[in-house]
Amino acid sequence: MSKILIAEDEVLMLKALEFKLKKDGYQVDVAADGRQAMEKVKNETYDLILTDIMMPFVGGMEILSYVKNDPIKKHTPVLLISAVGLENIVLEGFSLGADDFIYKPFNLNELSVRIKRYVKQNAF
Amino acid sequence: MNFFGTIFSYIRETYVDRLSYFPSNIKISLMIILFCAIAIVELYIYIIFRRVIKANQNKQTKYWKERIGNMLASVVVYDESENTAEIAVHFYDKLKKLPLKNSTVNQILTSEIITYHKNFTGKIPEVLALLYAKLKLDKRSKKKIDSKHWETKIEGIREANEMGISEMAEEIIKYTDDENGLLRMEAQAAYLKLSNKDPFHFLDRAQERILDWHQLVLFEIITKNKKLTIPSFSKWLRSPNDTVVMFCLKLIDHFMQFDAAEEVQRLLKHHNTRIVKKSIEIIGKLELEELEKHMFEIYFDHTDEIKLEILNSLGKISSGKYADFLSSRIHSNDSKIKRAALYAIKRDADHGEARLLEIYHHTSPENQALITHVLDNRIKQ
Repeated sequence: MSKILIAEDEVLMLKALEFKLKKDGYQVDVAADGRQAMEKVKNETYDLILTDIMMPFVGGMEILSYVKNDPIKKHTPVLLISAVGLENIVLEGFSLGADDFIYKPFNLNELSVRIKRYVKQNAF
Repeated sequence: MNFFGTIFSYIRETYVDRLSYFPSNIKISLMIILFCAIAIVELYIYIIFRRVIKANQNKQTKYWKERIGNMLASVVVYDESENTAEIAVHFYDKLKKLPLKNSTVNQILTSEIITYHKNFTGKIPEVLALLYAKLKLDKRSKKKIDSKHWETKIEGIREANEMGISEMAEEIIKYTDDENGLLRMEAQAAYLKLSNKDPFHFLDRAQERILDWHQLVLFEIITKNKKLTIPSFSKWLRSPNDTVVMFCLKLIDHFMQFDAAEEVQRLLKHHNTRIVKKSIEIIGKLELEELEKHMFEIYFDHTDEIKLEILNSLGKISSGKYADFLSSRIHSNDSKIKRAALYAIKRDADHGEARLLEIYHHTSPENQALITHVLDNRIKQ
């Protein structure tokens, strides 16, 4: 079973994403802020990381940067969630190695399909 | 006898047996001490009581948040292949069992529905909107709009706006000209989205200022909302409210409304220089050649700021009719005016550069340097 980390500081969104991904058959780990997420990323191995950009303590970009600079974890797909689609943020995300960008509001089913694709790609 | 027993018997002795023998100043002091001691005890009881209530409320809130959160998360992840109405009916039966008369529960449910409505697209917001209406949560939003407190009114307006309750547009219109700026802004933004009949009606009645930052917010709503039917904004150019005129000019500029030319011409004689400047800018941008002469007529009556704008607009129109006027600006004492006029001449693709070269041969070395600068295509204006 593929293991996914969701890092999102908005409790409701975290819950909805957790419900959805569990329903899709993934093993889901959640982090309610950036610090928790970073700790989990350092200590665990995930098949995909879905993280909000704006979080307390540690931002999504820092998590992304850590993952993509780690020789073992760098192949883990990282999907960024953002409420703002500012060009410079998107460019920064992609330049740090983000695999995809999800803008709020988003379609949960579309997200589910994207995740499925990245998890599948990562498995090979 | 223990310590507390000794203290108690001393107090009793002081206040019961010996009180009448004390002089009156000591009596008064003792009464004040007694009053303060009772007050402190009462205060402590009150604080403890409040804290117990608060702790209980927090516990309740946490419980309901968890429960409602789980219920709504189930709505969000429900099979989207189903019909929207069917999904709503399915969850309505579960959600209506909640004690919605309890204001905490009602508030939690409303705010959570709104959060999900804001963050998701697809069928989810449709289902949530149906549930919101079926559970009659809109009634509470309406109550909030009618509240005495402006912050509660704003909350209600935001809820109605997010959930798209168009019936509330008529309630909201009355706040679009409220003296409270924040309430006014929320109401105008919501009215634009909710009114099906005439979303721009608030401009007819606006007497209060539409602040610059507020204009930016409204501008974004108007330009991004594809469902809005864009009217001719020229009809508000006669408004006595200068901020309405300015806002409409910005919209005329954005939507390139050529039909506003006549009204824009009238604004060249407006008392507000910001409006005059914006009108001139629009004339240039829309290349309204027929209005050139009106700009020329007011040129000498205005400040350098307006003069520069007129020169800029004459350049954009480039009809050639005012080429001599533009050439004569080389004799101005202000280098900015000279530069703006030279650039305006240059904008005439057919004759501009030739005219500049002609001026070059008959002017001072200082002006020649300026013309060389303007003719250098590597330098942008």
